[in-house]
Amino acid sequence: MSDTDFQSVITPPPADQLVLETRNLNFYYGTHQSLFGVSMPVKRNGITALIGPSGCGKSTLLRTMNRIYDLYPGQRAEGEILVDGENILGPKVDVTSLRARVGMVFQKPTPFPMSIYDNVAFGVKLYHKKSKSQMDEVVEKALRRAALWDEVKDKLTKSGLSLSGGQQQRLCVARGIAVEPEILLLDEPASALDPISTAKLEDTLEELKRDLTIIIVTHNLQQAARLSDYTGFMYLGKMVEYGPTEELFVKPKVERTSDYIGGRFG
Amino acid sequence: MSLQSARHPDPVDPIFRGLAFAAATTLLLTLGGLIVALMIGGWPAISKFGFGFLTSSTWNPVTEVYGAAGPIVGTLITAVLSLAIALPIAVCVSVFLTQYCPKQIAQPVSTAIELLAGIPSIVYGMWGLFVFAPWFARTVQLPILTSLDPESFWGKLLAGVPNGANIFTASIVLAIMILPYMSAVFRELFRSIPPQVREAAFGLGCTSYEVVGSVLIPYVKKGMIGVVMLGFGRALGETMAVTFIIGNSHRFPDSLFASGSTLASTIANEFNEASGVHLASLIALGLVLFLITFTVLAIARALLSSQRY
Repeated sequence: MSDTDFQSVITPPPADQLVLETRNLNFYYGTHQSLFGVSMPVKRNGITALIGPSGCGKSTLLRTMNRIYDLYPGQRAEGEILVDGENILGPKVDVTSLRARVGMVFQKPTPFPMSIYDNVAFGVKLYHKKSKSQMDEVVEKALRRAALWDEVKDKLTKSGLSLSGGQQQRLCVARGIAVEPEILLLDEPASALDPISTAKLEDTLEELKRDLTIIIVTHNLQQAARLSDYTGFMYLGKMVEYGPTEELFVKPKVERTSDYIGGRFG
Repeated sequence: MSLQSARHPDPVDPIFRGLAFAAATTLLLTLGGLIVALMIGGWPAISKFGFGFLTSSTWNPVTEVYGAAGPIVGTLITAVLSLAIALPIAVCVSVFLTQYCPKQIAQPVSTAIELLAGIPSIVYGMWGLFVFAPWFARTVQLPILTSLDPESFWGKLLAGVPNGANIFTASIVLAIMILPYMSAVFRELFRSIPPQVREAAFGLGCTSYEVVGSVLIPYVKKGMIGVVMLGFGRALGETMAVTFIIGNSHRFPDSLFASGSTLASTIANEFNEASGVHLASLIALGLVLFLITFTVLAIARALLSSQRY
């Protein structure tokens, strides 16, 4: 089997549990193709991890799911991405409301230059007019769900940038979930965090997955194994293997997957 | 013998250090000397008119009575007005260049802006006097003058001889001069924002306008304040272009379309023929300008150094 020619082995979740599905997705940075026919069915309310060596296309795949790549002329996707059955790559899709349904947290924390409270309220204000007391509730709920409330409840008016890196990242999670998205995309959210902050973030994600679909890109195989219900292994822009995390880590069906997981390359 | 002692003491090192120290000291001494020279040169005027030099608007070489209020107010008004005109445009230009404009176009436009910043001020002054002022007098000032009741608020605000040489046109020319500089620095500020911050804002479902207004501008707010103050400093001290077009009248400016003067333009206009108290008064004007500019720059520096991002 050559490097670029292999069959994807996909073990999908039950069809009635799908929330998002990419079908035969190709992606181009200008003329350079970086995703090749990627199909990935994502289970509702759970954590799905994307693993693979650097440059394999896992972040690119994540960035198609809320069409954030739209910001950059020359980047384009072909194929289908179904969110609740609707193809979000279609021309009539309203990307701003799509992004309210599909939130994103980035590798580096990106708090906005405003107070902790306003950071969380920021996205909500875009969609709903709320009274002060309603907004207080929304902010508290989001911060609690992000497991940050106890640490910041006495300094909500302080700048979001005054928090530690781990707290900033959970603030970004709180900001993302405050608008109550169906899906939250996380692009290596723990790579800039120390182990304790990482553990806290993982606890947060465990809590959130009960009523939220989480798709996380990670370099950390243990993290993927610990956290996720489904895992996709990508290599050279293709989905090599996708299935329940336990199966993929314990009994991978593709040799390249077991090589990567066993640390023989990557 | 250890490796360290095998290295000969470098004779160039102390010399280089001395030279660097001397260069820095020379600069400081020059600054101090300048202040002292301005004080000594302006002393006859300061001692004669006292604090009234700053508050009186009489500037009469015949009776040898000099007050700087007219030029001081003219300087501040033109600087503030030009900022008020240039600031929103500069923000829009830099936002467009960094957020909306395709890269292939952004580069040539940026270069053009830098070229604009490099045009000598006397060229702006000539353009202002020979092209802009006559046009302004004909198409703006005259119609306003003939259609407004001279006793009304607007009539008083916009009164003036319709020759186009006034505080307002000088402010516009000044605005055109500081615009490229401010746009260029704003552009760099916006470029310094990590792309993830912009993506995070878009990722929450913001429109472009919301991203720029609620996230990007607050992100660089402090830097922008610094740039505004530096632009203000430039507008305060700009001489040739303003001298060409402001009308050079020493009276206290009582309307937007009145001719006036600035500290720098008064000095440039009268230095050649001045002597005695007249000359001392001009030097004192220089001292006032120096102090105003110094204050503005000091505030700008303080704001810039307190910038967190």
